[in-house]
Amino acid sequence: MLLPFASWLHNTSISLALQQQVAWLWPFCETLHFAGLALLLGVAGMFDLRLMGFMKQVPISVVKEFMPWALVGFTLNLMTGVIFVVSQPAQYFGNPTWWLKVTFLIIAGANAFIFETAYGRRAAALPAGEDTPTALKIIAAVSLISWAGVLWAGRMLPFLGAGVGAGL
Amino acid sequence: MEEFLLKLQESDFGVWVSAAPTLLAYPTILMLHTVGLAMIVGPAWVLDVRLLGYGARLPVEALRGAFRIMWIGFFINASTGIALFISEADDKGMRWIFWVKLASIAIALVVTSRLRRAVFSGGVAPDVAPPRARSLAKASLVLWLVAITAGRLMAYVK
Repeated sequence: MLLPFASWLHNTSISLALQQQVAWLWPFCETLHFAGLALLLGVAGMFDLRLMGFMKQVPISVVKEFMPWALVGFTLNLMTGVIFVVSQPAQYFGNPTWWLKVTFLIIAGANAFIFETAYGRRAAALPAGEDTPTALKIIAAVSLISWAGVLWAGRMLPFLGAGVGAGL
Repeated sequence: MEEFLLKLQESDFGVWVSAAPTLLAYPTILMLHTVGLAMIVGPAWVLDVRLLGYGARLPVEALRGAFRIMWIGFFINASTGIALFISEADDKGMRWIFWVKLASIAIALVVTSRLRRAVFSGGVAPDVAPPRARSLAKASLVLWLVAITAGRLMAYVK
């Protein structure tokens, strides 16, 4: 199922256009991907640390005001990531490590969704200085671990599993 | 110089880093270098945008702890960076882009320490950054971006 999809994608006009792109497109996107990573992890990491009980004197809602910057980082990385995958689909679909990265991304996303829907209001209402409930600490830990997993798997892509789908 | 770089690269340690058949050598060192990047640049950029006026409800004082994370990140990246450099000393040491990366990091470190002194040295950090701190924050934003860019381009610029 993957092979036909990868080769279909590889032959779409957008993929072909990206493949023939000027030599600077790939390094340019990679650079943005690393800058986006720093922005996302810096801001989301700060928020997670707050949920874990650091910077207790600051209300959670105030720390959350920085989250748009995390979203900027995430959007940068999603866009550049899509460019990578569309231009070399088999290289990613054929690599189990990439699927691990996607899995960590889904966990991070689901975790953020659970936070927003189930705990967002309660977190915002928590007075400054008060200890955060265990549920929020767990959510923060899952967030940190899953983003670390995304980074780990992303960086390991060329070294781990890259040969598995070489024929794909 | 060339000879020395080649010696470094061909040392037991250099060869282990670049060629040991284990994920714990080059791949893990490279991965940790990215973790360190996030620990340095992430908090630096949060502090920078706050000093430039974003998220003004956040007391600047609350970000004092950012320097500890940045220091740990810097320690990770100095160590992994030295290991990576040794493993490719002859390939990378003479390239101008590598020196752009080192120079931008060196200047960023000076800027960061001045920023820390300008904002966090006298008791509780002020919530409206003085003009000098704002200039330093702008410089920090740009310098870390330059460092990331030069670092990434090391894989491309010959």
